[in-house]
Amino acid sequence: MASRRNVLKGVGMATIGASLPISGVLAQNAPAAAPAAKAPKLLEMEGKAKLAVLGDRPLVAETQAALMDDDVTPTAKLFVRNNGQVPEATRDPKAWKIKVDGEVNTPLEITLGDLMSRFPNVTYQLVLECGGNGRSFFEPEARGNQWTNGGAGCPQWTGVRLADVLKAAGLKSSAVFTGHYGADPTLAGETDKPTISRGMPIKKAMDEHTLIAFKLNGQDLPLIHGAPVRLIVPGWAGSLSTKWLTRIWVRDKEHDGPGMGGFSYRTPRKPIVPGSKGDEKDMAILESMPVRSVITFPADGTKLAAGTKKLDLRGNAWAGDWDIKTVDISIDAGKTWRSAKVNPPANKFAWQRFTASIDLPSSGYYEVWSRATDSNGVTQPFLATNWNPQGYGANPISRIRVLVES
Amino acid sequence: MREITVTHVVVITLTATFVLLGLDRAGELRPNRPAYVPPAAKSATVAAPEHDPDKGKPPPHNDKPEDLPDGKGRDVTFYTCTACHGVALIKAQGLTRELWDSTFDLMLEKHRMPPVPAAERGEILDYLAATFPPRRRGRGDDNPFK
Repeated sequence: MASRRNVLKGVGMATIGASLPISGVLAQNAPAAAPAAKAPKLLEMEGKAKLAVLGDRPLVAETQAALMDDDVTPTAKLFVRNNGQVPEATRDPKAWKIKVDGEVNTPLEITLGDLMSRFPNVTYQLVLECGGNGRSFFEPEARGNQWTNGGAGCPQWTGVRLADVLKAAGLKSSAVFTGHYGADPTLAGETDKPTISRGMPIKKAMDEHTLIAFKLNGQDLPLIHGAPVRLIVPGWAGSLSTKWLTRIWVRDKEHDGPGMGGFSYRTPRKPIVPGSKGDEKDMAILESMPVRSVITFPADGTKLAAGTKKLDLRGNAWAGDWDIKTVDISIDAGKTWRSAKVNPPANKFAWQRFTASIDLPSSGYYEVWSRATDSNGVTQPFLATNWNPQGYGANPISRIRVLVES
Repeated sequence: MREITVTHVVVITLTATFVLLGLDRAGELRPNRPAYVPPAAKSATVAAPEHDPDKGKPPPHNDKPEDLPDGKGRDVTFYTCTACHGVALIKAQGLTRELWDSTFDLMLEKHRMPPVPAAERGEILDYLAATFPPRRRGRGDDNPFK
């Protein structure tokens, strides 16, 4: 790795947080001073890397592409997405209570300590991804936090299977959906109303990789990531992975908490004119996140020494419920493609590393594109498509820009 | 033998005073004293660590009206919106007046924003639509169906 890094003369850290819409290449009239082109504000917080701050209140911070260059995402580099305020740290984590009620034969109220000892503990490497990841690639802008590709990470999570807990409670035949509740106060400071409460079909809840998690990379969860206990629903919008988990309500119908319905975490069933208001009736719940790839090395804006003829790059690719089949690289805006080598995932729902050695025929400016294709044959589009007012599902081909000096 | 004048006495006295003051400042005339230890620091190392419910929370963040671009309606916009969320979220948006209007509904209906008088809502929407219009134009800019 060190030898590969040696060919780099400089890494343009200031530019990596800038959003990189592919259409910036295709569109001739992109505004020169779009706010997204400015260097991002960097997070200053104990235990966290200098992530790009998208919002301070609530705190929302994404992992710049060059900081995603890990097989297993370190805790410090994991993105932060809060919807409300961060609740107070509990004095006694083992006494934290989780309620499981609704369409179950035996409602449970179980402490975290009991949960940890009563059910098998499992550890998986699982992608956690914000539902709005990629939103900044929509044109015109869609409403919400303007994520590039950095609302995702793939650390190791340890917990118990939600399926084991639901089996212990005994699902009634009327059980069709879950509804999740956490202890985070609303932005206005209320503690008697949920900040957000989303849910999922029972089938997803029973997946063996859906966890009630209490460890992140082998350590107790940090408060900002949901201490002492949270859900991890891999491959689906991160808002399902409720932090500071207090209750799972098993429903006999689709859950209707805040964050369900309307345009929230929904994509159009029939395509709508970009920038228009849309109709709630035409929206369907976003389930699996779409296929995505990110080049994590070298950083966007890297200058390569004169005479450089090869670029050894690497990145991560993932696809919600699915595996990555191929990743292709282009240096000519898609006229020609070269296959990258793609590693198998550590386990289902883990991201997959890709590497490629690309010939650079001369000095000059190159855009290096990466395009992943999932196990269904669905690939990343050239542009963010299926525009919707709150901006879900944008996963265009990603790119870095490098300059080989003369 | 020469006479000792008043001038001699004054010069000798002043010289002696300066020399003594200098030695004193340099620490030559005083015994070594132990360094000052604040009592709080001493007791903190002994007591059991306090539970801090705020440990691990993000740093507090406060915005001021001037963090939003100047314009008619800025202050009412600031105080209405930042009752809940920061200005960074507002500034990241680029929406038509129609979408700003539906954003207002979203806040009222889904995020429990307190009701806003119609005149104020109009003023806020005018400010937002003028200050944060769509900026990413791309190939959809000349959409024939807009």
